[in-house]
Amino acid sequence: MLMFTVRRILVSIPVLIGITAILFVMLNVVPGDPIALLMKEHASPDVIERVRAQMHLDDPLITRYFRFLFAALQGDLGTSIKLNRSVTTLIMNAFPNTLYLAGCAALVSWVIGIPAGILSAVRRDSFVDHFFMGFSLLGVSMPIFWSALLMQYIFAVQLKWLPVAGFYGFEYVILPAIVLGWSSAGVIARLTRSSLLEVMRHDYIRTARAKGAREISVISRHALKNALIPVVTIMAIQVASLLSGAVITEAIFGIPGVGRISINAIQARDMPLLQGSVLFATVLVILGNLVADILYSVLDPRIRSQMRKDAR
Amino acid sequence: MKNKMKLLLASGLASLVLMTPALAEQMLRISYPEDPKTADVQKTSDAYMLPLNVFDRLIEAETTSPGQSALVPGLAEKWDVSADGLVYTFHLRQGVLFHDGAELTADDVVYTFDRMLNPATKALGTDILDFVAGAHERLDGTADSVAGLKALDKYTVQITLSQPYAAFLALMASPQASIFNRAFTEAAGDQFGLSPETTNGTGPFKLESYELNDSQRLVANESYFRGRPKLDSILVRVVSDSETLRLLFETDELDVFDLDYAVSQTPYFYGSDQWKDLIRTGPRVGMYYYHINQANKPFDDVRVRKAFQMAINRQEILDKNFYGKGVLENGVMPRGLTCYEPATPIEFNPAKAKELLAEAGYPDGVEIKLAQVSSWSSKWSDMNQIIQAQAAEAGFKVSIDTMDEAAYFDKRKAGVIDNYTQSWSADFNDPDNFFYTFFSKSGTAVRAFNNNDPVVFEALDKARGMSDAEARCALYREMGEKIVQEDAAWVPMFSLDHSYVVQPRVKNFVVPWNGWSDMNYYKMEIAE
Repeated sequence: MLMFTVRRILVSIPVLIGITAILFVMLNVVPGDPIALLMKEHASPDVIERVRAQMHLDDPLITRYFRFLFAALQGDLGTSIKLNRSVTTLIMNAFPNTLYLAGCAALVSWVIGIPAGILSAVRRDSFVDHFFMGFSLLGVSMPIFWSALLMQYIFAVQLKWLPVAGFYGFEYVILPAIVLGWSSAGVIARLTRSSLLEVMRHDYIRTARAKGAREISVISRHALKNALIPVVTIMAIQVASLLSGAVITEAIFGIPGVGRISINAIQARDMPLLQGSVLFATVLVILGNLVADILYSVLDPRIRSQMRKDAR
Repeated sequence: MKNKMKLLLASGLASLVLMTPALAEQMLRISYPEDPKTADVQKTSDAYMLPLNVFDRLIEAETTSPGQSALVPGLAEKWDVSADGLVYTFHLRQGVLFHDGAELTADDVVYTFDRMLNPATKALGTDILDFVAGAHERLDGTADSVAGLKALDKYTVQITLSQPYAAFLALMASPQASIFNRAFTEAAGDQFGLSPETTNGTGPFKLESYELNDSQRLVANESYFRGRPKLDSILVRVVSDSETLRLLFETDELDVFDLDYAVSQTPYFYGSDQWKDLIRTGPRVGMYYYHINQANKPFDDVRVRKAFQMAINRQEILDKNFYGKGVLENGVMPRGLTCYEPATPIEFNPAKAKELLAEAGYPDGVEIKLAQVSSWSSKWSDMNQIIQAQAAEAGFKVSIDTMDEAAYFDKRKAGVIDNYTQSWSADFNDPDNFFYTFFSKSGTAVRAFNNNDPVVFEALDKARGMSDAEARCALYREMGEKIVQEDAAWVPMFSLDHSYVVQPRVKNFVVPWNGWSDMNYYKMEIAE
């Protein structure tokens, strides 16, 4: 397992370098001058030219790229052009907020998604099935800005149970976590349902039933373990994507997370900040996939033994 | 760890404060859609709330009546200008203290302006010091100091200009001219203005906390030289979503709702029995306009430009999009600006516009493009859509080219962008802030008007140095007529009122003279 993990990490290094190189080239192809964007309506050609030179933005692309890479290898992701702060500090300060939100949202999506999927599969084509599938379809289909507004109106304005927006304590994370969790729960519920239905058709489930095992035991001990393998993959990737920043949710609920930082970077063509945000998101996605693979092996002994063989 | 604990404590405190309906302290709760990024005004060009409240200037522009301002003493209690208009001597107030307890001296003023011109600062707003003798040498690194900046004694500063500049005093009252403390600012280095620990001004409020993309908290400066502000503190939240903003206001989590950030809510608040008496409104010294790029065909022909002016029913847009809250403008200067006088009205006449197009060689109409930015408020795209329909009657077949903000500014800088709509509010109360910004040689190029009229260029350069106020105003009015009526270089649209809705407890809320959302909160109060 350790060998497998180390190998996966080593393989991801060229991926990271490749992504930074592609991003660097792309940002130089698309139009946009970070200094002109900083000055906007107060743009003055002389000042733009001077500040660009002072920030070494006119240096050749290759020089700037290797300067960035060399500093990044030493843990320095540079200074944001727009926010004038260290990129590493900006991301590290915003990440705990995103982690908190993503953790709560993931919890909501699992608590809703997995039981809904199981109940729908077990009571296939019943009212319960249609209700839960309709509920999850609504979660997946409804745009976040709309469900957010709806939740804010019902729970904050009308019922006054929760605050509208902000990030000053647990009560502030409930609404965004539900909004974000609901949209992810739909995917999990539908995947759990289809995967469980698939597994329930296998011979070993019929054998278990023939042995006289109770239905609840057939589902929980025999079917669910195998049915959850694809679900776990999606869950890990969803968490990784939530951690990269839930841009719309963070904007609507005023959460100072990584998503807000990334939006700042894209809109301002803030190269160092954008490089840092993308690098960070890539690391999270790679880690998410790694965690999914490890969980796979925990859940499925066949995969575990394949990993051992591969390691040898 | 220490920082984490601080953050937790600050969050807990903010939580308590936000959840408590009856506020014990006189705290004003406001919001802005974007984080200000810094309190260092030399590093920003659009976020002035922190500079206006944490710092002071030598002179201040005070709102005297709606849409009107006067220059009043600030950190300088008086000033003299030499007969040739080149030497400005500022006599500082004695005993003015920075937030860290240091006393303001003439050396701080010299340091502040020198810092702005020091290439190492990478300052953005250096334009305000363009006329100071030696400014360019300092900026391009050929001098270690600015020849025109001198501390004559502890409380007297002398600024010498390289040529007379009539708007210099007005410029000294703009936020970019905020004064810093030498010792503190030098010690803070490039971190100055980024956190409470690295921010120090003389202003009515001190920066107490700053959480990026979340909030800032300002507290009263007990030893402010004009007397302690009535407010104990100001909580500034960063709320980018306009719907959330309205819900926060309606659930009494905010004290002020700026209708500029949600124009579509205007009829709701004006029609609401609960809110209509709590609307505070004032004219702004600013103008919406349609830009015309003369480098693009068919706008290289003045007849087409005049036809474009005549094809737009500005009153309809004002009524439909902005609920009639403003007045039409016809010149380069909006109401309230020094030298303002109503200009010759632009006629709305689609039939005549059609004739002009035919005269210019387009009897079957002409295809034109309008540029707009995808991420901007829908008020801009709504205006374009209305104009698309209106101009069709005169023969303009308008298509709208939507792009992101970066591409928009890039095309503008390159001078190739299609006509766009924008607004401009006064940074300082002088016609130079409008004329030179748009129609000087550099202004017309960087904004892609390409109105290369040598008569206008010469007159605008001349007006900057004129000391006879009346003759100067006359020249600006003459140039306004030439630019709008003769050159048809832009389409002045309207000057809007700026409306806010406030909670009943907010007292002394005055819309600033220029109509900015960034304002000084010194005189505001919260009723017990």
